[in-house]
Amino acid sequence: MSYKPDERDWMAYLYGELEGEEKDRFEQYLQTNIEAQNELLKYQQLRNLISHVDDKEVIAPPLVLGDNKQQFWDTPYVKTILSIAASLIIVILVGRMAGISMRVTDNEFKLTFGQPVEVKNESPVSNDNSLTKEQVRDMINASLQNNNLAIEETWKKNEEKLTASIKKNLETNSNRIDQLVKDASSVSQRDIRDFVASMQSENMRMVKDYFQLTSTDQKKYIEGLLVDFSQYLQQQRNNDLQLVDTRLRSLEQNTNIFQQETEQILTSIISSVGTTKRENKN
Amino acid sequence: MHAETLLDIAMMHSDTLIVKAKQGDQNAQGRLVQLWYKRIYNFGYKFFLDHDMAMEISQKTFISMCRNLHGLQDTARFKSWLYKIAVNSCREEARKTKGSRSLSFDVVWNREAEDSPRWESSAQRHDNPEKQLEQIELSDILQEALLQLNEEQREVVIMKEYEGLKFREIADVLNISENTVKSRMYYGLESLRKILVKKNINKDTIGYEL
Repeated sequence: MSYKPDERDWMAYLYGELEGEEKDRFEQYLQTNIEAQNELLKYQQLRNLISHVDDKEVIAPPLVLGDNKQQFWDTPYVKTILSIAASLIIVILVGRMAGISMRVTDNEFKLTFGQPVEVKNESPVSNDNSLTKEQVRDMINASLQNNNLAIEETWKKNEEKLTASIKKNLETNSNRIDQLVKDASSVSQRDIRDFVASMQSENMRMVKDYFQLTSTDQKKYIEGLLVDFSQYLQQQRNNDLQLVDTRLRSLEQNTNIFQQETEQILTSIISSVGTTKRENKN
Repeated sequence: MHAETLLDIAMMHSDTLIVKAKQGDQNAQGRLVQLWYKRIYNFGYKFFLDHDMAMEISQKTFISMCRNLHGLQDTARFKSWLYKIAVNSCREEARKTKGSRSLSFDVVWNREAEDSPRWESSAQRHDNPEKQLEQIELSDILQEALLQLNEEQREVVIMKEYEGLKFREIADVLNISENTVKSRMYYGLESLRKILVKKNINKDTIGYEL
């Protein structure tokens, strides 16, 4: 018998996937070949051995799938085109509002803000009636002389005015000092008391005003503080309420997940019960 | 290998559910996720031996499923289609993690020191605790052995041995020929055998009835 199964035949037979004539041929080969029988036994033992790998028990977690239908506006190329268009519009609007204009004329680039101002071409000054150097020098000398004369006159006038005013001031001051000395000598003790009393009353009034002002400021400050504090408390309360609400929602979600898991566990229990029954029947 | 549970039967006969889910019924989509979550999670877990990665794979797979289900032509091929998404997610994550090596929190965290023993929460709670502990240890050793296979063999071995896909379905998932799948399975089993021999794990050493 020339038949000798290859590795594929071995695998197919080992896993029960060899059928018909091929299977018969393989079995005949086995019957006549002790080595092959031993080999098959080894494979079966190996399969038995490796079948001792346990499956891990696991519970399917809930899968959250986002909406994967991509909107036309969400496609990348549309987004790119739209962003470029938006940038261009912004540039145009800014240019329009700032009145920016750009021109290229006669090899020069002009960037202007607002209406461009036309530069008038002024007619060049004619140099027909030009003066000679000497004339200009004479004119300068004459004007310098005039200026010097005018400055000397003004100096003289100012000097006279100053001396006159100093004299006048000295006279008036000496008169005033004389008057003050006279007044000081004539001031009685009663006047001094009155002056001190008036000073005291004025000081009292100032201190009173100061305290009134500070107390109103403090009142306002305390009121503000109380309002802020009440707002803070209100905010805190809202936050707490939100937190409680979130916790409640999460608790609800957990309960739902737990319910799903329980259902699955029940299914697996039912399945194992079914298996046990069938095994018992067998 | 595994006894069929009601959940498996529901997975086999979920055509109506798939049709409804295809039409955008979110309730049906949710039920599909619940039906298949354990399988995809365990596929990811066996592929990476990491809880966080398995969660990530499951999350990605089912989000992709819900978003692309409308494009599924043949509802009979739903299973292959779903595993195809899972395999692609695994490959993507594997590529990412190749660049950045980091330890999972599960590895760093000494779970046993803080939690009750794992056999307490195991399904066969009424069995002998010693046996259960041995079973857990064996399971861990086998998982580590799986992790030592190369990605191509690991995918095939997990899908065939633990997810119960037919060779034709695996070929459909991986977009390769059925013969290639069988070859990968063959060499995957050979590699596993060598790894287990190296670890001195056989029917005599583990003390189980095989």
